[in-house]
Amino acid sequence: MNSAPNGVWQKNPALAWREIDDETIIISPTESVMHELNDTGSFVWKRIDGRRTAADLAALLAENYDVTREVALADTTALLAELASRKLVVAAAEDAH
Amino acid sequence: MSIGGVALALSLEDEKLFARAEKRYSAFADGVGIGRPVNVVPDCAGNGSEAVFASDFESARVLVSAKGVEFRGVKNEYALDSLMRMFLSWELLSRNGFLLHAASVVRNGRAYIFVGKSGAGKSTVASLSPAGSVLTDEISLLLKNNGEWRAFGTPFWGEFHAAGSNMSAPVAGVFHLVKAREIRTRPLRGASLLRALLPNILFFSSKTQDHQRLLEIAGAASEEIPGHTLEFRRNRKFWEVLP
Repeated sequence: MNSAPNGVWQKNPALAWREIDDETIIISPTESVMHELNDTGSFVWKRIDGRRTAADLAALLAENYDVTREVALADTTALLAELASRKLVVAAAEDAH
Repeated sequence: MSIGGVALALSLEDEKLFARAEKRYSAFADGVGIGRPVNVVPDCAGNGSEAVFASDFESARVLVSAKGVEFRGVKNEYALDSLMRMFLSWELLSRNGFLLHAASVVRNGRAYIFVGKSGAGKSTVASLSPAGSVLTDEISLLLKNNGEWRAFGTPFWGEFHAAGSNMSAPVAGVFHLVKAREIRTRPLRGASLLRALLPNILFFSSKTQDHQRLLEIAGAASEEIPGHTLEFRRNRKFWEVLP
């Protein structure tokens, strides 16, 4: 399943989003709902590209923030699960990676 | 007529509706008849599948397609007014602008924008301001032109029951109205200002690319315009605390 470390996600292409300060504002046009991500959430969001695995994203997070790889992986998989539950990310197609 | 620099040439078949529209938009009519043609028709035929923008108000519909701009199913001035707001909200995307639920008041040559939902105090602010200084008490039009954010008067009004002034002024600041016992301001910048603006922006497109463009424009406004929370009660003294 994609919540595993080797899971690969892509941003939902139906969304509009913009960074401002260190945050990200995401709008779902069909639902007229606004979502917000803090700085670490924004860091991961920008790097979700349909190719990187959750473990890849966690490694990048650990390199740039003062957290261990284990903590980064737990945080990243939790974030991806939350984003998926809100339909902000979708599972990447198999041929995308 | 021209609203916020958007020139429109309305064509109406219904004489009564024409007379009402002429009265409603008189301050914004230039009498020249030059502008983007808008065909206002009483019937609502067609599904609008070819439209680059379409939005409905009750049984009326605005359609923008290769054929031009059409307001269909318009039976009264309220439908006409609603379709006008819908069309402008989309048209302004290409002009770095947007419509905002806000009152705008000009003071010392600069526009103060008071944003908030119904009941937040927009009309109160307008009623406490000198005659002729109110650009609008309900729907503000903001756009960036030549590197400068300007607020334009609009013919869209709320409880003030008077058309806004057809003029514009550089924006002094955006003030998010919050009812309180004391009158004071607090800074509201960047992401915080964008969070306050977005729920108050009039927008009717369901297309991702249009929402992306709106986010870029509103995001730029939030980064470039000084923003404040205005804790406010019905009292003219609020002007004394504005920066």
